[in-house]
Amino acid sequence: MGVELLEHQVQEKLSAMGGAEIIVGIPSYNNADTIGQVVRVALEGLQKYFPARRALIVNSDGGSKDRTVQAIDPAHLNTPMILSVSHPLYPMHHLTTPYHGLPGRGSAYQTLLHIAELAQAQALALVDADLRSLTPEWFDLLLRPVLDREFDFVAPYYKRHKFNGAITNSIVYPLTRALYGRRVHQQIGGEFGISRRLASRFLQGKVWSTDVAQYGIDIWMTTTTIAENYKICQSYLGAKLHGLKDPGPNLGSTLMQVVGSVFGLMETYDSVWCNVLGSLPAPLFGVPFEVGVETVPMNLGRMLASYQQGVRDLLPVYQSIISPAQLEGLKAVAALPEEEFALSDELWVAVIYDFSLGYHRRVIDREHLVRSLTPLYLGWVASFMRQAEYDTAAQVEARIEKLCLVFEQLKPYLLNQWPLQTGEKRSAS
Amino acid sequence: MKAFWTRVILAPLYDLGQHALASLSGLIGMLVLIVFGLIVGWIAKEIIYRVLRALRFDRLCDRLGVGQVVERTGMARSSSYLAGQVVQGLIILSTLLAGLNELGTPLTRNLVDRFFLYLPHLLASLLVLIGGALVSRFLSRSVLIAAVNAQMPSARLLSGLTRFFVMALTVVAALDELGISRTTIIVTFAILFGGIVTAAAIAMGLGARDLARDLLQSQFRPKVRPEAEDPMRHL
Repeated sequence: MGVELLEHQVQEKLSAMGGAEIIVGIPSYNNADTIGQVVRVALEGLQKYFPARRALIVNSDGGSKDRTVQAIDPAHLNTPMILSVSHPLYPMHHLTTPYHGLPGRGSAYQTLLHIAELAQAQALALVDADLRSLTPEWFDLLLRPVLDREFDFVAPYYKRHKFNGAITNSIVYPLTRALYGRRVHQQIGGEFGISRRLASRFLQGKVWSTDVAQYGIDIWMTTTTIAENYKICQSYLGAKLHGLKDPGPNLGSTLMQVVGSVFGLMETYDSVWCNVLGSLPAPLFGVPFEVGVETVPMNLGRMLASYQQGVRDLLPVYQSIISPAQLEGLKAVAALPEEEFALSDELWVAVIYDFSLGYHRRVIDREHLVRSLTPLYLGWVASFMRQAEYDTAAQVEARIEKLCLVFEQLKPYLLNQWPLQTGEKRSAS
Repeated sequence: MKAFWTRVILAPLYDLGQHALASLSGLIGMLVLIVFGLIVGWIAKEIIYRVLRALRFDRLCDRLGVGQVVERTGMARSSSYLAGQVVQGLIILSTLLAGLNELGTPLTRNLVDRFFLYLPHLLASLLVLIGGALVSRFLSRSVLIAAVNAQMPSARLLSGLTRFFVMALTVVAALDELGISRTTIIVTFAILFGGIVTAAAIAMGLGARDLARDLLQSQFRPKVRPEAEDPMRHL
């Protein structure tokens, strides 16, 4: 959709409803099964929690082939509160399946942010179109901190099975926490609350034509918010259940997209994180209530075999990435029997720091580097699952907290090897 | 008698002396050029080595995988040093050829002319070899990582085969560029590939059908398709 046509469509809708203080953005692609329910819940949430505020729900569709747009109740579509637009989806968006399952998510977010700016809305909430666990309360939790507490960014906080979200828990959360000094648990999600000034900042970014927009836009938004000192908080949303979709990308590709985005942003903001030691909590809104979560079957043998094969067959690759001391440690762990298999937090953290340094120095092709992390990651997951098999959710949380602290304690290991531009100084804050 | 002595003995001796002197000056000129080439070559090598080292050329070569090849084959102590040595060799070779040309004999002139006509082919084949080595390294590593991630037991074998075939194609292309036994090499290559394919077809189609099937299944089919059956949500 052209910018002029979009602006005309938005202006027409806004003048019909007399402006909008709140925008709810729903990017979609082939979500006919769930979008009707998501729009219904969004309407209910806005009417229940923000009856006095003018709000606009915008569905931005990337050319769905399953009549997603038609799946929205026509009665709703004809109300002034709902607008349906489309965002461009190019052939390149179909080349690789993104981990979040929404091709062109960056393009959709850019369109929705643009609409929020045109409307001069005070707050924008983004929600995925494939949600099955969405409730009206989510809109209160995502928008209220922005509207009433002057937060710029509301990150989601989901309740999950203790073994789900292992990439988040073992790499993304502890690494970004140690780097930027903010404890934001969920960098990867589809639900956010955004203030007007931060929406403007996001639109100024040059990220929209890059791979980051396609594969790591959520990580980019969260990291930008923290690194540039915008006010960030979290809202407890409970369990997140998706609709049934095609299988996502394989683990290697997922790591490439997610960990590659985090490593890439380390280069963008190295002058920021080099001056940070320790971390501060991000305020959490909502009540952490107990909910039923999906169970995770354990297959330790397969993960262990992957780790052992990786350490054996990828040794020449690892020799160019991982320091000799850590490599010896990994080999020693690979030789352990299954019942004693344990990868220590210290070793894991040093390996992740070595990978980030190797990525920065381009010791080998970057895609090769991140994909070669897969067997080691599975080894860490196997070790974590074996040790935490009988732990309660709270005990697992404590284990993750301990891992985060090791990331923070070993940060000097990274700092001492990260080549800084001349003139930059390192100092603890 | 005196005239006869002068015509038969002294004059040829004089001519021989003149020719010897002319050749000697050419020989001395050639030696001077070679010594000059050795000195200039050594200086150029040292300058290039130091400049490239300052420009972190070794790190770039390590990233491209050239550094490891240099190290493993023991060609030089580093990529920068090897580059210096290549320039030194070219300078010495050039002065040697110029020196040979100084002798002025048809043989040496012909040799120099042929060398300069051959030089572009030599450089082209060198580029083909370098490009092929880089591509084979990249592809074999891609195959290795993908196969390990898919938990294929023969990951290293697949990676090695990838490297072997890309390098074999590269060497054939480089030799073809040099014009060395062109027909023989192409025929040998075709026979080699044809032989492999035929052997595989016979093995699978006739006598060792079951064995080939079992072998291929055990080697190339992962016991579990880990990523397809991965029940975890990693994010």
